[in-house]
Amino acid sequence: MPDPDERPEKEFAEEWRDAAYNCFSSGHKFCREVCPVMQVTRNESWSPTAFHANVVAMEKGELEVADVAADYVNCTGCGACEVRCPNSLFTGDFYRFRTRTVDLVKAVRGLAVEQGVHQPGWRRWNQLTDERRHEPVLDGTPVDQGRVRDWAEGLELPIGGESILFVDCEAAFVRTSVPRSVARILSLAGYEFGLMNEQWCCGGPAAEMGYDEQARRFARHNLDDWRAAGVRRVLVLDPHDYITFTEDYPRYFGDAYDIEIVLVVELLAELIREGRLTPHVPVERTVTYHDPCRLNKRKGVWREPREILRAIPGLTFHDVDRVSQWSYCSGGGGGLPVEKPELTAKISEQRVGKAAELGVDTLVSACPWAERPLSDAGRARSIDVVDLHELLAESLGVSP
Amino acid sequence: MTYRHQEEMSPPPARRVTDVAITRFEHVYEVEPALMTEHVTQQSFPNWDTLRLVRSRADHLAWMHRHFAGKVISGEELLHDLDE
Repeated sequence: MPDPDERPEKEFAEEWRDAAYNCFSSGHKFCREVCPVMQVTRNESWSPTAFHANVVAMEKGELEVADVAADYVNCTGCGACEVRCPNSLFTGDFYRFRTRTVDLVKAVRGLAVEQGVHQPGWRRWNQLTDERRHEPVLDGTPVDQGRVRDWAEGLELPIGGESILFVDCEAAFVRTSVPRSVARILSLAGYEFGLMNEQWCCGGPAAEMGYDEQARRFARHNLDDWRAAGVRRVLVLDPHDYITFTEDYPRYFGDAYDIEIVLVVELLAELIREGRLTPHVPVERTVTYHDPCRLNKRKGVWREPREILRAIPGLTFHDVDRVSQWSYCSGGGGGLPVEKPELTAKISEQRVGKAAELGVDTLVSACPWAERPLSDAGRARSIDVVDLHELLAESLGVSP
Repeated sequence: MTYRHQEEMSPPPARRVTDVAITRFEHVYEVEPALMTEHVTQQSFPNWDTLRLVRSRADHLAWMHRHFAGKVISGEELLHDLDE
Protein backbone atom coordinates (compact mmCIF):
# COMPACT_ATOMS: atom_id res chain seq x y z
CA MET A 1 0.00 0.00 0.00
CA PRO A 2 1.45 3.41 -0.96
CA ASP A 3 2.62 5.72 1.80
CA PRO A 4 -0.28 8.21 2.31
CA ASP A 5 2.22 11.04 2.70
CA GLU A 6 3.64 10.31 -0.76
CA ARG A 7 0.31 10.60 -2.57
CA PRO A 8 0.43 13.20 -5.37
CA GLU A 9 -2.83 14.61 -4.01
CA LYS A 10 -1.11 15.26 -0.67
CA GLU A 11 1.68 17.22 -2.33
CA PHE A 12 -0.88 19.06 -4.46
CA ALA A 13 -2.96 19.94 -1.39
CA GLU A 14 0.08 21.39 0.35
CA GLU A 15 0.34 23.98 -2.41
CA TRP A 16 -3.37 24.75 -2.52
CA ARG A 17 -4.52 24.27 1.09
CA ASP A 18 -4.42 27.96 2.07
CA ALA A 19 -6.57 28.89 -0.89
CA ALA A 20 -8.89 25.97 -0.22
CA TYR A 21 -9.42 26.81 3.44
CA ASN A 22 -9.77 30.49 2.60
CA CYS A 23 -12.80 29.53 0.51
CA PHE A 24 -14.10 26.61 2.56
CA SER A 25 -14.00 28.43 5.90
CA SER A 26 -15.67 31.55 4.49
CA GLY A 27 -18.58 29.76 2.92
CA HIS A 28 -20.29 32.88 1.61
CA LYS A 29 -20.71 31.37 -1.87
CA PHE A 30 -21.34 34.57 -3.77
CA CYS A 31 -19.59 32.71 -6.58
CA ARG A 32 -22.54 30.39 -7.17
CA GLU A 33 -24.89 32.91 -8.75
CA VAL A 34 -22.31 34.47 -11.08
CA CYS A 35 -20.96 31.10 -12.24
CA PRO A 36 -22.35 30.35 -15.73
CA VAL A 37 -22.18 26.58 -15.23
CA MET A 38 -24.04 26.79 -11.92
CA GLN A 39 -26.69 29.00 -13.50
CA VAL A 40 -27.64 26.38 -16.07
CA THR A 41 -27.03 23.17 -14.09
CA ARG A 42 -27.55 23.94 -10.36
CA ASN A 43 -25.06 21.15 -9.71
CA GLU A 44 -23.31 21.89 -6.41
CA SER A 45 -20.44 19.52 -7.26
CA TRP A 46 -19.55 21.88 -10.10
CA SER A 47 -19.46 25.05 -8.03
CA PRO A 48 -16.29 27.04 -7.34
CA THR A 49 -16.81 26.26 -3.64
CA ALA A 50 -16.85 22.53 -4.34
CA PHE A 51 -13.65 22.85 -6.38
CA HIS A 52 -11.95 24.23 -3.27
CA ALA A 53 -13.62 21.85 -0.82
CA ASN A 54 -12.24 18.92 -2.80
CA VAL A 55 -8.72 20.10 -1.98
CA VAL A 56 -9.55 19.96 1.74
CA ALA A 57 -10.76 16.38 1.20
CA MET A 58 -7.63 15.52 -0.78
CA GLU A 59 -5.44 16.79 2.04
CA LYS A 60 -7.30 14.60 4.50
CA GLY A 61 -6.94 11.55 2.25
CA GLU A 62 -10.65 11.34 1.53
CA LEU A 63 -10.37 11.90 -2.23
CA GLU A 64 -8.13 11.02 -5.13
CA VAL A 65 -8.00 13.18 -8.22
CA ALA A 66 -9.56 10.37 -10.27
CA ASP A 67 -12.69 10.66 -8.12
CA VAL A 68 -13.34 14.27 -9.08
CA ALA A 69 -11.44 14.98 -12.33
CA ALA A 70 -14.63 14.91 -14.40
CA ASP A 71 -16.23 17.55 -12.17
CA TYR A 72 -13.48 20.00 -13.05
CA VAL A 73 -14.52 19.91 -16.71
CA ASN A 74 -17.43 22.13 -15.72
CA CYS A 75 -15.69 25.48 -15.71
CA THR A 76 -15.32 28.02 -18.52
CA GLY A 77 -12.46 29.84 -16.79
CA CYS A 78 -14.47 33.05 -16.97
CA GLY A 79 -13.22 34.34 -13.61
CA ALA A 80 -16.61 35.51 -12.33
CA CYS A 81 -16.24 33.52 -9.12
CA GLU A 82 -12.85 35.08 -8.47
CA VAL A 83 -13.81 38.70 -8.92
CA ARG A 84 -17.15 38.34 -7.09
CA CYS A 85 -15.58 36.51 -4.15
CA PRO A 86 -15.30 38.92 -1.21
CA ASN A 87 -11.88 37.40 -0.52
CA SER A 88 -10.77 39.00 -3.79
CA LEU A 89 -13.10 41.95 -4.17
CA PHE A 90 -12.85 43.34 -0.65
CA THR A 91 -9.59 42.01 0.75
CA GLY A 92 -7.54 40.55 -2.11
CA ASP A 93 -5.44 43.64 -2.78
CA PHE A 94 -5.05 44.34 0.96
CA TYR A 95 -3.58 40.94 1.79
CA ARG A 96 -2.07 40.32 -1.65
CA PHE A 97 -3.90 37.04 -1.51
CA ARG A 98 -6.98 36.53 -3.65
CA THR A 99 -9.22 33.69 -4.76
CA ARG A 100 -7.72 31.87 -7.73
CA THR A 101 -10.34 29.34 -8.80
CA VAL A 102 -9.29 29.46 -12.45
CA ASP A 103 -5.71 28.54 -11.57
CA LEU A 104 -6.94 25.86 -9.18
CA VAL A 105 -9.15 24.29 -11.85
CA LYS A 106 -6.23 24.29 -14.30
CA ALA A 107 -3.97 22.78 -11.64
CA VAL A 108 -6.41 19.95 -10.84
CA ARG A 109 -6.81 19.24 -14.55
CA GLY A 110 -3.01 19.14 -14.80
CA LEU A 111 -2.76 16.78 -11.83
CA ALA A 112 -5.34 14.50 -13.45
CA VAL A 113 -3.40 14.33 -16.73
CA GLU A 114 -0.19 13.64 -14.79
CA GLN A 115 -1.98 10.75 -13.10
CA GLY A 116 -3.18 9.39 -16.43
CA VAL A 117 -6.78 10.52 -15.92
CA HIS A 118 -7.90 11.96 -19.25
CA GLN A 119 -11.13 13.43 -20.57
CA PRO A 120 -11.58 11.81 -23.99
CA GLY A 121 -12.47 14.98 -25.89
CA TRP A 122 -9.62 16.98 -24.41
CA ARG A 123 -7.11 14.22 -24.97
CA ARG A 124 -8.02 14.02 -28.67
CA TRP A 125 -8.15 17.82 -29.05
CA ASN A 126 -4.66 18.27 -27.63
CA GLN A 127 -3.26 15.32 -29.53
CA LEU A 128 -4.47 16.89 -32.80
CA THR A 129 -3.17 20.29 -31.72
CA ASP A 130 0.22 18.74 -31.02
CA GLU A 131 0.29 17.08 -34.44
CA ARG A 132 -0.93 20.12 -36.40
CA ARG A 133 0.49 22.93 -34.22
CA HIS A 134 -2.99 24.49 -34.19
CA GLU A 135 -6.29 23.60 -32.61
CA PRO A 136 -8.60 21.41 -34.72
CA VAL A 137 -11.17 24.17 -35.13
CA LEU A 138 -12.43 23.21 -38.59
CA ASP A 139 -14.78 20.39 -37.60
CA GLY A 140 -12.99 17.57 -39.36
CA THR A 141 -11.04 19.54 -41.96
CA PRO A 142 -7.42 19.40 -40.80
CA VAL A 143 -5.81 22.68 -39.95
CA ASP A 144 -2.41 23.03 -41.51
CA GLN A 145 0.75 24.92 -40.57
CA GLY A 146 1.12 25.89 -44.21
CA ARG A 147 -2.24 27.69 -44.11
CA VAL A 148 -1.88 29.62 -40.85
CA ARG A 149 -1.36 32.88 -42.74
CA ASP A 150 -3.98 32.27 -45.44
CA TRP A 151 -6.32 34.71 -43.71
CA ALA A 152 -3.93 37.52 -44.71
CA GLU A 153 -3.94 36.72 -48.41
CA GLY A 154 -3.76 39.85 -50.53
CA LEU A 155 -3.03 42.16 -47.59
CA GLU A 156 0.70 42.19 -48.32
CA LEU A 157 1.78 42.17 -44.72
CA PRO A 158 5.49 41.68 -44.00
CA ILE A 159 6.87 38.80 -41.96
CA GLY A 160 8.56 39.86 -38.72
CA GLY A 161 9.38 43.39 -37.62
CA GLU A 162 9.33 45.09 -34.24
CA SER A 163 5.56 44.57 -33.83
CA ILE A 164 3.67 41.50 -34.98
CA LEU A 165 -0.01 40.56 -34.95
CA PHE A 166 -0.72 37.19 -33.29
CA VAL A 167 -3.91 35.56 -34.54
CA ASP A 168 -5.56 32.81 -32.51
CA CYS A 169 -6.51 29.46 -34.07
CA GLU A 170 -10.25 30.23 -34.31
CA ALA A 171 -9.66 33.57 -36.02
CA ALA A 172 -6.85 32.28 -38.26
CA PHE A 173 -8.83 29.36 -39.65
CA VAL A 174 -12.54 30.10 -39.05
CA ARG A 175 -13.29 33.75 -38.20
CA THR A 176 -10.84 35.06 -40.78
CA SER A 177 -12.76 38.29 -41.35
CA VAL A 178 -11.78 39.36 -37.80
CA PRO A 179 -7.99 39.43 -38.30
CA ARG A 180 -8.47 40.83 -41.80
CA SER A 181 -10.51 43.68 -40.31
CA VAL A 182 -7.86 44.33 -37.67
CA ALA A 183 -5.09 44.33 -40.27
CA ARG A 184 -7.01 46.71 -42.54
CA ILE A 185 -7.74 49.10 -39.65
CA LEU A 186 -4.15 49.17 -38.40
CA SER A 187 -2.89 49.77 -41.94
CA LEU A 188 -5.39 52.61 -42.35
CA ALA A 189 -4.03 54.22 -39.18
CA GLY A 190 -0.47 53.85 -40.45
CA TYR A 191 0.46 51.47 -37.64
CA GLU A 192 3.37 49.28 -38.77
CA PHE A 193 3.22 45.59 -37.98
CA GLY A 194 4.05 42.23 -39.47
CA LEU A 195 3.17 38.57 -39.05
CA MET A 196 4.96 35.86 -37.15
CA ASN A 197 7.46 33.70 -38.97
CA GLU A 198 6.16 30.29 -37.83
CA GLN A 199 3.16 30.80 -35.57
CA TRP A 200 1.95 27.90 -33.46
CA CYS A 201 -1.07 27.81 -31.17
CA CYS A 202 -0.36 29.98 -28.12
CA GLY A 203 -0.55 26.89 -25.88
CA GLY A 204 -3.23 28.42 -23.68
CA PRO A 205 -5.93 25.85 -24.45
CA ALA A 206 -3.54 22.98 -23.62
CA ALA A 207 -2.74 24.69 -20.31
CA GLU A 208 -6.45 25.13 -19.59
CA MET A 209 -7.16 21.44 -20.22
CA GLY A 210 -4.25 20.21 -18.11
CA TYR A 211 -1.67 19.41 -20.79
CA ASP A 212 1.05 21.51 -19.21
CA GLU A 213 4.10 20.06 -20.95
CA GLN A 214 2.54 20.70 -24.34
CA ALA A 215 1.50 24.22 -23.35
CA ARG A 216 5.05 25.07 -22.27
CA ARG A 217 6.55 23.53 -25.41
CA PHE A 218 4.30 25.64 -27.64
CA ALA A 219 5.05 28.75 -25.60
CA ARG A 220 8.78 28.08 -25.90
CA HIS A 221 8.48 27.78 -29.67
CA ASN A 222 6.56 31.04 -30.02
CA LEU A 223 8.90 33.01 -27.77
CA ASP A 224 11.96 31.65 -29.61
CA ASP A 225 10.35 32.56 -32.93
CA TRP A 226 9.67 36.12 -31.74
CA ARG A 227 13.22 36.54 -30.51
CA ALA A 228 14.75 35.12 -33.67
CA ALA A 229 12.85 37.71 -35.71
CA GLY A 230 13.68 40.62 -33.41
CA VAL A 231 10.07 41.05 -32.31
CA ARG A 232 9.64 43.46 -29.39
CA ARG A 233 5.84 43.80 -29.32
CA VAL A 234 2.99 41.35 -29.89
CA LEU A 235 -0.46 42.69 -30.82
CA VAL A 236 -3.24 40.42 -29.62
CA LEU A 237 -6.83 40.50 -30.82
CA ASP A 238 -8.10 37.47 -28.89
CA PRO A 239 -8.81 37.82 -25.14
CA HIS A 240 -7.78 34.19 -24.56
CA ASP A 241 -4.37 34.80 -26.12
CA TYR A 242 -4.07 37.96 -24.05
CA ILE A 243 -4.49 35.90 -20.87
CA THR A 244 -1.96 33.33 -22.07
CA PHE A 245 0.66 35.94 -22.96
CA THR A 246 0.22 38.02 -19.79
CA GLU A 247 -0.31 35.24 -17.23
CA ASP A 248 0.98 31.88 -18.52
CA TYR A 249 4.09 33.04 -20.38
CA PRO A 250 5.33 35.20 -17.46
CA ARG A 251 4.96 32.15 -15.22
CA TYR A 252 6.92 29.98 -17.66
CA PHE A 253 9.72 32.42 -18.44
CA GLY A 254 9.93 34.75 -15.43
CA ASP A 255 12.12 37.83 -15.68
CA ALA A 256 13.47 36.66 -19.03
CA TYR A 257 10.07 37.46 -20.57
CA ASP A 258 10.74 40.81 -22.20
CA ILE A 259 8.07 41.00 -24.91
CA GLU A 260 5.46 43.78 -24.76
CA ILE A 261 1.90 42.58 -25.13
CA VAL A 262 -0.67 44.98 -26.57
CA LEU A 263 -4.39 44.30 -26.65
CA VAL A 264 -5.73 45.39 -30.04
CA VAL A 265 -9.04 46.71 -28.72
CA GLU A 266 -7.18 49.07 -26.40
CA LEU A 267 -4.87 50.14 -29.20
CA LEU A 268 -7.82 50.90 -31.49
CA ALA A 269 -9.55 52.99 -28.82
CA GLU A 270 -6.32 54.96 -28.43
CA LEU A 271 -6.02 55.50 -32.20
CA ILE A 272 -9.60 56.84 -32.25
CA ARG A 273 -8.83 59.14 -29.30
CA GLU A 274 -5.75 60.47 -31.09
CA GLY A 275 -7.75 61.13 -34.24
CA ARG A 276 -5.79 58.61 -36.29
CA LEU A 277 -9.01 56.68 -36.92
CA THR A 278 -12.38 58.36 -37.47
CA PRO A 279 -15.38 56.09 -37.93
CA HIS A 280 -17.65 57.90 -40.39
CA VAL A 281 -19.81 55.37 -42.22
CA PRO A 282 -23.13 55.06 -40.34
CA VAL A 283 -23.95 51.53 -39.18
CA GLU A 284 -27.71 51.32 -38.67
CA ARG A 285 -28.02 48.64 -36.04
CA THR A 286 -29.52 48.40 -32.55
CA VAL A 287 -26.83 46.70 -30.51
CA THR A 288 -25.74 45.60 -27.09
CA TYR A 289 -22.20 44.61 -26.16
CA HIS A 290 -21.10 41.27 -24.74
CA ASP A 291 -18.17 41.79 -22.38
CA PRO A 292 -15.73 38.93 -23.07
CA CYS A 293 -15.10 37.31 -19.68
CA ARG A 294 -11.34 37.36 -20.08
CA LEU A 295 -11.36 41.11 -20.70
CA ASN A 296 -14.00 42.32 -18.26
CA LYS A 297 -13.81 39.92 -15.33
CA ARG A 298 -10.22 38.74 -15.57
CA LYS A 299 -8.49 41.90 -16.80
CA GLY A 300 -10.81 44.77 -15.98
CA VAL A 301 -10.93 45.87 -19.64
CA TRP A 302 -14.43 47.17 -20.41
CA ARG A 303 -14.17 50.90 -21.16
CA GLU A 304 -12.31 50.75 -24.49
CA PRO A 305 -14.78 48.50 -26.35
CA ARG A 306 -17.57 50.89 -25.33
CA GLU A 307 -15.49 53.88 -26.45
CA ILE A 308 -15.20 52.26 -29.88
CA LEU A 309 -18.92 51.51 -30.08
CA ARG A 310 -19.84 55.07 -29.10
CA ALA A 311 -17.56 56.41 -31.83
CA ILE A 312 -19.46 54.54 -34.56
CA PRO A 313 -22.20 56.71 -36.10
CA GLY A 314 -25.65 55.25 -36.67
CA LEU A 315 -25.54 52.70 -33.85
CA THR A 316 -28.26 52.60 -31.22
CA PHE A 317 -26.39 51.19 -28.23
CA HIS A 318 -28.23 49.57 -25.31
CA ASP A 319 -25.44 49.03 -22.83
CA VAL A 320 -25.46 46.64 -19.88
CA ASP A 321 -22.90 47.63 -17.26
CA ARG A 322 -19.77 45.62 -16.59
CA VAL A 323 -20.79 44.49 -13.09
CA SER A 324 -24.11 43.04 -14.28
CA GLN A 325 -22.08 41.23 -16.94
CA TRP A 326 -19.96 39.46 -14.34
CA SER A 327 -22.73 36.85 -14.43
CA TYR A 328 -22.83 36.69 -18.26
CA CYS A 329 -20.76 34.27 -20.33
CA SER A 330 -20.85 32.63 -23.76
CA GLY A 331 -19.78 29.25 -22.37
CA GLY A 332 -17.05 29.11 -25.02
CA GLY A 333 -13.99 29.04 -22.78
CA GLY A 334 -11.95 26.65 -20.68
CA GLY A 335 -12.39 23.72 -23.04
CA LEU A 336 -16.07 23.34 -22.13
CA PRO A 337 -17.29 23.28 -25.76
CA VAL A 338 -14.93 20.39 -26.50
CA GLU A 339 -16.17 18.13 -23.70
CA LYS A 340 -19.68 19.45 -23.08
CA PRO A 341 -21.01 21.38 -26.08
CA GLU A 342 -24.53 21.05 -24.70
CA LEU A 343 -23.57 23.11 -21.66
CA THR A 344 -21.88 25.74 -23.83
CA ALA A 345 -25.07 25.94 -25.91
CA LYS A 346 -27.22 26.44 -22.80
CA ILE A 347 -24.96 29.19 -21.48
CA SER A 348 -24.94 30.94 -24.86
CA GLU A 349 -28.73 30.65 -25.14
CA GLN A 350 -29.03 32.28 -21.74
CA ARG A 351 -26.66 35.10 -22.77
CA VAL A 352 -28.47 35.77 -26.03
CA GLY A 353 -31.75 35.72 -24.08
CA LYS A 354 -30.45 38.66 -22.02
CA ALA A 355 -29.73 40.52 -25.26
CA ALA A 356 -33.20 39.73 -26.61
CA GLU A 357 -34.78 41.37 -23.54
CA LEU A 358 -33.21 44.65 -24.69
CA GLY A 359 -34.90 44.49 -28.08
CA VAL A 360 -31.64 44.61 -30.02
CA ASP A 361 -30.97 43.14 -33.44
CA THR A 362 -27.22 42.71 -32.88
CA LEU A 363 -24.98 41.38 -30.13
CA VAL A 364 -21.45 42.74 -30.47
CA SER A 365 -18.59 40.66 -29.14
CA ALA A 366 -14.83 41.16 -29.01
CA CYS A 367 -13.85 37.51 -28.65
CA PRO A 368 -13.58 35.11 -31.62
CA TRP A 369 -14.12 32.12 -29.33
CA ALA A 370 -17.44 33.47 -28.02
CA GLU A 371 -18.80 34.24 -31.46
CA ARG A 372 -19.40 30.69 -32.66
CA PRO A 373 -21.66 29.57 -29.77
CA LEU A 374 -23.31 32.99 -29.49
CA SER A 375 -24.05 32.99 -33.24
CA ASP A 376 -25.63 29.54 -32.97
CA ALA A 377 -27.86 30.78 -30.14
CA GLY A 378 -28.53 34.09 -31.92
CA ARG A 379 -29.97 32.43 -35.00
CA ALA A 380 -32.91 31.09 -32.98
CA ARG A 381 -33.78 34.64 -31.90
CA SER A 382 -32.86 36.47 -35.11
CA ILE A 383 -30.05 38.30 -33.36
CA ASP A 384 -26.85 38.82 -35.35
CA VAL A 385 -23.58 38.29 -33.53
CA VAL A 386 -20.96 40.69 -34.90
CA ASP A 387 -17.36 41.17 -33.94
CA LEU A 388 -16.40 44.63 -32.67
CA HIS A 389 -13.36 44.84 -34.94
CA GLU A 390 -15.48 44.03 -37.99
CA LEU A 391 -18.05 46.63 -37.01
CA LEU A 392 -15.35 49.28 -36.65
CA ALA A 393 -13.86 48.33 -40.02
CA GLU A 394 -17.29 48.76 -41.61
CA SER A 395 -17.63 52.24 -40.12
CA LEU A 396 -14.14 53.14 -41.28
CA GLY A 397 -15.05 52.12 -44.81
CA VAL A 398 -12.53 49.30 -45.04
CA SER A 399 -13.89 45.91 -45.96
CA PRO A 400 -12.17 42.80 -44.68
CA MET B 1 -2.58 48.92 -21.35
CA THR B 2 0.65 47.54 -22.65
CA TYR B 3 1.83 44.60 -20.60
CA ARG B 4 5.52 44.70 -19.72
CA HIS B 5 6.51 41.97 -17.29
CA GLN B 6 9.29 43.82 -15.49
CA GLU B 7 7.09 46.86 -14.90
CA GLU B 8 4.15 44.78 -13.70
CA MET B 9 6.29 42.94 -11.18
CA SER B 10 7.86 46.14 -9.83
CA PRO B 11 5.35 47.78 -7.47
CA PRO B 12 5.85 51.40 -6.43
CA PRO B 13 7.88 51.80 -3.21
CA ALA B 14 5.92 51.17 -0.04
CA ARG B 15 5.15 53.97 2.42
CA ARG B 16 4.27 53.04 6.01
CA VAL B 17 0.82 54.10 7.16
CA THR B 18 0.53 52.35 10.54
CA ASP B 19 2.40 49.56 12.35
CA VAL B 20 0.40 47.02 10.37
CA ALA B 21 -0.31 48.73 7.04
CA ILE B 22 1.56 50.21 4.10
CA THR B 23 0.51 51.96 0.89
CA ARG B 24 1.96 51.76 -2.63
CA PHE B 25 -0.84 53.22 -4.78
CA GLU B 26 -2.91 56.28 -3.85
CA HIS B 27 -5.79 55.36 -1.49
CA VAL B 28 -4.83 51.68 -1.66
CA TYR B 29 -3.68 50.06 1.57
CA GLU B 30 -1.93 46.75 2.15
CA VAL B 31 -1.15 44.71 5.19
CA GLU B 32 2.45 44.92 6.38
CA PRO B 33 4.06 42.10 4.34
CA ALA B 34 6.09 40.91 7.36
CA LEU B 35 2.81 39.77 8.92
CA MET B 36 2.17 37.44 6.00
CA THR B 37 5.22 35.21 6.25
CA GLU B 38 4.23 32.53 8.72
CA HIS B 39 0.73 31.09 8.34
CA VAL B 40 -0.42 32.35 4.94
CA THR B 41 2.16 33.71 2.54
CA GLN B 42 1.38 36.40 -0.01
CA GLN B 43 0.88 35.59 -3.68
CA SER B 44 2.76 37.00 -6.64
CA PHE B 45 0.72 40.09 -7.43
CA PRO B 46 1.39 42.10 -10.60
CA ASN B 47 0.40 45.75 -10.45
CA TRP B 48 -2.45 45.30 -12.90
CA ASP B 49 -4.10 42.78 -10.60
CA THR B 50 -4.03 45.09 -7.59
CA LEU B 51 -5.54 47.92 -9.62
CA ARG B 52 -8.11 45.61 -11.22
CA LEU B 53 -9.42 44.59 -7.81
CA VAL B 54 -9.49 48.16 -6.51
CA ARG B 55 -11.41 49.40 -9.56
CA SER B 56 -13.74 46.39 -9.57
CA ARG B 57 -14.55 47.04 -5.91
CA ALA B 58 -15.44 50.67 -6.64
CA ASP B 59 -17.55 49.64 -9.63
CA HIS B 60 -19.29 46.95 -7.60
CA LEU B 61 -20.09 49.28 -4.70
CA ALA B 62 -21.46 51.88 -7.12
CA TRP B 63 -23.54 49.13 -8.75
CA MET B 64 -24.89 48.06 -5.35
CA HIS B 65 -25.86 51.64 -4.56
CA ARG B 66 -27.58 52.07 -7.92
CA HIS B 67 -29.56 48.87 -7.48
CA PHE B 68 -30.31 48.66 -3.78
CA ALA B 69 -29.75 51.97 -1.95
CA GLY B 70 -32.74 54.30 -1.53
CA LYS B 71 -30.45 56.87 0.03
CA VAL B 72 -26.95 57.03 1.46
CA ILE B 73 -26.49 58.14 5.08
CA SER B 74 -23.35 58.64 7.11
CA GLY B 75 -22.21 56.51 10.03
CA GLU B 76 -22.67 59.56 12.24
CA GLU B 77 -26.35 59.72 11.33
CA LEU B 78 -26.74 56.02 12.04
CA LEU B 79 -25.21 56.42 15.51
CA HIS B 80 -27.44 59.41 16.17
CA ASP B 81 -30.52 57.33 15.29
CA LEU B 82 -29.37 54.56 17.63
CA ASP B 83 -28.89 57.00 20.50
CA GLU B 84 -32.43 58.29 20.21
